Amino acid sequence: MSMPSFELTRATSVADACALLADQGSATQVIAGGTQLLITLKNGTHAPQRLVDIGAIAGLAEIRSSPEGLSIGAGVTLARLADHPEVARRHQVLAEAAKAVGTLQLRSMGTVGGNLCQDSCCIYVDRTIEQRHSLAPCHKINGDRCHIVPTSGSCWANYAGDLAPALIALDASVSVASVAGTEVRPITSLFSFEGTRPIALGAGELITDIRVPAPNGRAGGMYLKLRQRGSLDYPLLGVAAAVTLEEDGTCRTARVALTGVDRGPVLVPETDRLRGRIIGDEFLEEIAHAAYKRARPVKNTFGYGASYRVRMAKPFVIRALRGAAARAEGREVLHG
Amino acid sequence: MADQGIVLSVNDRAYRVVVAPNETLLDALRDRLGLTGTKCGCDSGSCGACTVLVDNQPFLSCLTLAIRCEGRQITTIEGLAEGPVLHPLQQAAVQHGAVQCGYCTPGWLLTAKALLDTNPSPTRDEIRLAIAGHLCRCTGYQKIEDCIMAVARDRERASLDAVPGR
Repeated sequence: MSMPSFELTRATSVADACALLADQGSATQVIAGGTQLLITLKNGTHAPQRLVDIGAIAGLAEIRSSPEGLSIGAGVTLARLADHPEVARRHQVLAEAAKAVGTLQLRSMGTVGGNLCQDSCCIYVDRTIEQRHSLAPCHKINGDRCHIVPTSGSCWANYAGDLAPALIALDASVSVASVAGTEVRPITSLFSFEGTRPIALGAGELITDIRVPAPNGRAGGMYLKLRQRGSLDYPLLGVAAAVTLEEDGTCRTARVALTGVDRGPVLVPETDRLRGRIIGDEFLEEIAHAAYKRARPVKNTFGYGASYRVRMAKPFVIRALRGAAARAEGREVLHG
Repeated sequence: MADQGIVLSVNDRAYRVVVAPNETLLDALRDRLGLTGTKCGCDSGSCGACTVLVDNQPFLSCLTLAIRCEGRQITTIEGLAEGPVLHPLQQAAVQHGAVQCGYCTPGWLLTAKALLDTNPSPTRDEIRLAIAGHLCRCTGYQKIEDCIMAVARDRERASLDAVPGR
């Protein structure tokens, strides 16, 4: 398949990358792992004039551990993240989410920052050029309509990143660099919930690392992913849960986030009701129902329809919370 | 942007090539270096036929820009055998009937090599997870799994035999 021509500039430092990105605006794009970007270039949905290669920036691909928690460089590959001993031991939800992405090759190439900033997908846009041309262009490709929700007047492309819900469940934050300096923001602030431009980063802004706080108390997490095949697929629904327990086994914190069911990853704040209680049947139903109400999938994915995806949010939330609580207690539960 | 001269290190040999910025590693290997063992299947990251090793990690060469590979060690299927001696994985693929039409074979052999290099005795599930990024329309995967399993077992046996006193 042919690719449009572009200029490729290798950034030598974060400051250099930010200057290059700020200078060129939307005609410039970052290339990290390149796994999604190159597909969109070949598919003709993107045509940036310049790519800023951040692959050679020193220090961007490191995982650092401190008493406050982990700092995960944006350039760390998903394969390395999944295999990192501290991530696997202390943040199972993140290791499972990383392992659930694509295939081994895509995980060896794709980066943490790239996965977070994954563009949203849609059954209409992600077709071949020939198929796409049989209908008028939609919002996502500079058109004036949405073929999925024609009356909405806006783009409903589905956010399907696997890492985002896990990082939201872990209450992570992101360091965003620009020419003005580096700012630490809550991870939820990255997502605009706009289909056409799901990532709320300004021109010249670059994610440099993700900070995951050290768990306070006995911690456990779980990521469950609904998909048609055992690999490769984007999540048709993804549920991430992370809990910490008090000494007496009651819940200290519980956080749940969903992916694949809206234009961004969805936090379910109702898990606050679990605080001080034993994580058991009584409240799980209530939280599962809250998650069900918050999920807003539309019929824009390959595979299962929207109603199945939203209905599966309930059992998935219950299983993920139960699994996370069991792991916090040092037990393992079976899931699949 | 103009084409650029780079040095690609493929199978322990340095090749001086001129590539365009938008040229994939797949195209550079096949069309510039004549290393046609690497196959083009879907050309969009789904089928795994174009898999090569970049610094011993399985990469999809159709989604890798050649220009970004300077300074990295690339292994293609041509680099697996040592002269006329097949790599144990290649030998096992023949013995177990894991090669039929052959189109997916170069890709999964390299992934299998990367797997066994980091995990010398994988379970069948670990093998399945590792090769999940390779579509094979002939074998039904069973024979591919058998092949990788057999090489892991052989190596285990060989390492046990090497223990003094056994």
